[in-house]
Amino acid sequence: MSLLVLLLIPSLGAMLVLGCKQPRHATRAALLIGALEVTAIVHAVWRIRSAGILQTGRYLRADGLTAFFLINIGFIFGLVLVYSVGYLHHIPAGRFSSPRWFYSLFFLFLFTMIAVYLSANLGMLWICVEATTLASALLVGFYNTEGAVEAGWKYLIVCTVGIAFALFGTIALYLAAVKSGVSPQSALDWDALMTAAPTFGPVRDLVKLSFVFVAVGYGTKIGFVPMHSWLPDAHAEAPSPVSALLSAVLLNCAMYALLRFDAITSRAIGSGFSHTLLLIFGGLSVTVAALLMIVQKDLKRLLAYSSIEHMGIVAIGVGLGGTLGLFAALLHAFNHSVAKTLMFFVAGDVRESFGTLRMKGIHGMARSLPWTSASLVLGSLAIVGMPPFGLFISEFMILTTAFNSSRYGIAILVLVSLSVVFGALLHHFQHMLGGKPGNAPTKLKLLPSEFAVMGICSVFLIVFGMRIPGVFANLVQRALAVLQ
Amino acid sequence: MGMIELAVAKALASSAVFLFVTVLMMASAKRISACIILFGAQSAVMAAQVLAIAYARHSIEAYAVATLVIAVKVVAIPFALFRIVKELKAPQDVTASTTATQSVFIMAGLILLSFFAVAPYAKTLRVDEDMLAAAIALLLTGAFLMVSRKKALMQVIGLLVLENGIFLAALTTTFGMPLVIEIGIFFDLLMGVFLMGLFVFRIRDTFDHLDVSKLRRLRG
Repeated sequence: MSLLVLLLIPSLGAMLVLGCKQPRHATRAALLIGALEVTAIVHAVWRIRSAGILQTGRYLRADGLTAFFLINIGFIFGLVLVYSVGYLHHIPAGRFSSPRWFYSLFFLFLFTMIAVYLSANLGMLWICVEATTLASALLVGFYNTEGAVEAGWKYLIVCTVGIAFALFGTIALYLAAVKSGVSPQSALDWDALMTAAPTFGPVRDLVKLSFVFVAVGYGTKIGFVPMHSWLPDAHAEAPSPVSALLSAVLLNCAMYALLRFDAITSRAIGSGFSHTLLLIFGGLSVTVAALLMIVQKDLKRLLAYSSIEHMGIVAIGVGLGGTLGLFAALLHAFNHSVAKTLMFFVAGDVRESFGTLRMKGIHGMARSLPWTSASLVLGSLAIVGMPPFGLFISEFMILTTAFNSSRYGIAILVLVSLSVVFGALLHHFQHMLGGKPGNAPTKLKLLPSEFAVMGICSVFLIVFGMRIPGVFANLVQRALAVLQ
Repeated sequence: MGMIELAVAKALASSAVFLFVTVLMMASAKRISACIILFGAQSAVMAAQVLAIAYARHSIEAYAVATLVIAVKVVAIPFALFRIVKELKAPQDVTASTTATQSVFIMAGLILLSFFAVAPYAKTLRVDEDMLAAAIALLLTGAFLMVSRKKALMQVIGLLVLENGIFLAALTTTFGMPLVIEIGIFFDLLMGVFLMGLFVFRIRDTFDHLDVSKLRRLRG
């Protein structure tokens, strides 16, 4: 019952918000539903802590890994919802682009992502990941400008084709399970697959084929190079709260799907094959994204490439494997989601103040918008992995794992890429922050709600840079136990 | 193996030929409406295959899947696509970047390639080689249509053909996935086509054309 509630609140909420004709009412209803959903998530995670595994019916299931990602989505989603309230007042009214449509699609998007986490069945998982694309495509094209329509179309087509490959991979794994004697009815269930995985030896070719297709398919959604073409466009053209959700939650959601497949594949044929593939994709993403960050002109595109880079680092963490590598990967995914949310909030504020996101056209931000600039500096120090921020810890752990397992090539690749990223951000942001204020910003003060959410993100990043709270470390450990 | 099973297996193997025919005709088709009809025909062949399997294995689930294929892929989607074509009131040619002759030759090459690709798997899995090759051929054809045709609607059709290939692969190797999953996939497909239709109208309204190869404002 409890798991069904997590899905019912956002789906019914989406309909309810759509019924509110007054923007003011829609906003209030959205905040109320959001608060309910966050409470329900916290309650569910609490119950998973005591019960270990929750199962509702045949198709809904939650374990330690689910709990970790549920906390992630609940935290980020709450922040983004509060931020949207201040952000939304200037949206031009049009078909599908009023606040009620925004909140409705927002909750629908949330519904599909939570459904991904709660799927007990890999077929269901695929259906839900595809549904996240469908639910968010209209949000990406929300502004209805030329760029937004193009980005939305590209997002829809590229991700649907990518995800189709993942379906092919899922079928191949299903076939492998059926050939190994699992009953066809349960051959897509996570539990049954994890139990039967050690007997997949005779069909190892099929398991390999399956993982290649799944890695390419879900990798498209994660934004691995070279399947990343949709990502910068979608992140840049979507409204800033949506960009934050795409980067901080959706990418993690796809990574979650890949983690499940990686666990099954590793158990079936050893971790060598799948981890090598992840290292290749991760290394490629980190390098290419870092190089492309140098030449970016638009702030949000720059942040989008940074997301690709960070997902690459997460993939490298998983690919290096071992308890430390996986721990670091999960921690990094969480830290990155908080830092990137902060950065997209800043980007939204910059856009509102200056009416543009072209970094060349913005000067003297430090003087005219001190608080936004402070957040920008703090956020960018965090995303380049400087101490004392959370991402430093996780990146350091991944590098330690790489050196310990004598993978010097990977370690050097990551180190060089991180330096390039540091240089690129320094180059871009010193123009924006320094100098004399050129074009005067139209909006000088942060709204209290915006101030609050940026503050929460900053405090989180600093606290996690000092030490990881015991409760949180425990949460990650329980997630690891599921995968190993 | 009983007589009925044998007959069904033979019928399935030979029906792969119809799929190859639709694929080759799609390559040479000049109008979008022709491609929609061909997609419907292709789905009808697959529905017949599911029906044959349902009959041979006395499987209620397979009958349900066959009904879904007919309802969604033979009726609903082609009907919806025709409506979009009519409402758009835009020129109907597919504007290919290869000529029809080139397309047919490329497609024939892809069919040949898929036979080579599946040969090792077909033996070990003990499934029909022609059908598996047809599945891979559909997959490749879908991808080819998506990259070589410039109209937004043709990309949707390419995607649908690609999805048909995946469906056929599941059908030949495992006699389909569990029913609930199939229903979910069909639902996603329907929603996907609906959304893509919506975006096609938006593209027309914001750009005044439907040539997606000209959508290249976002670069880098």
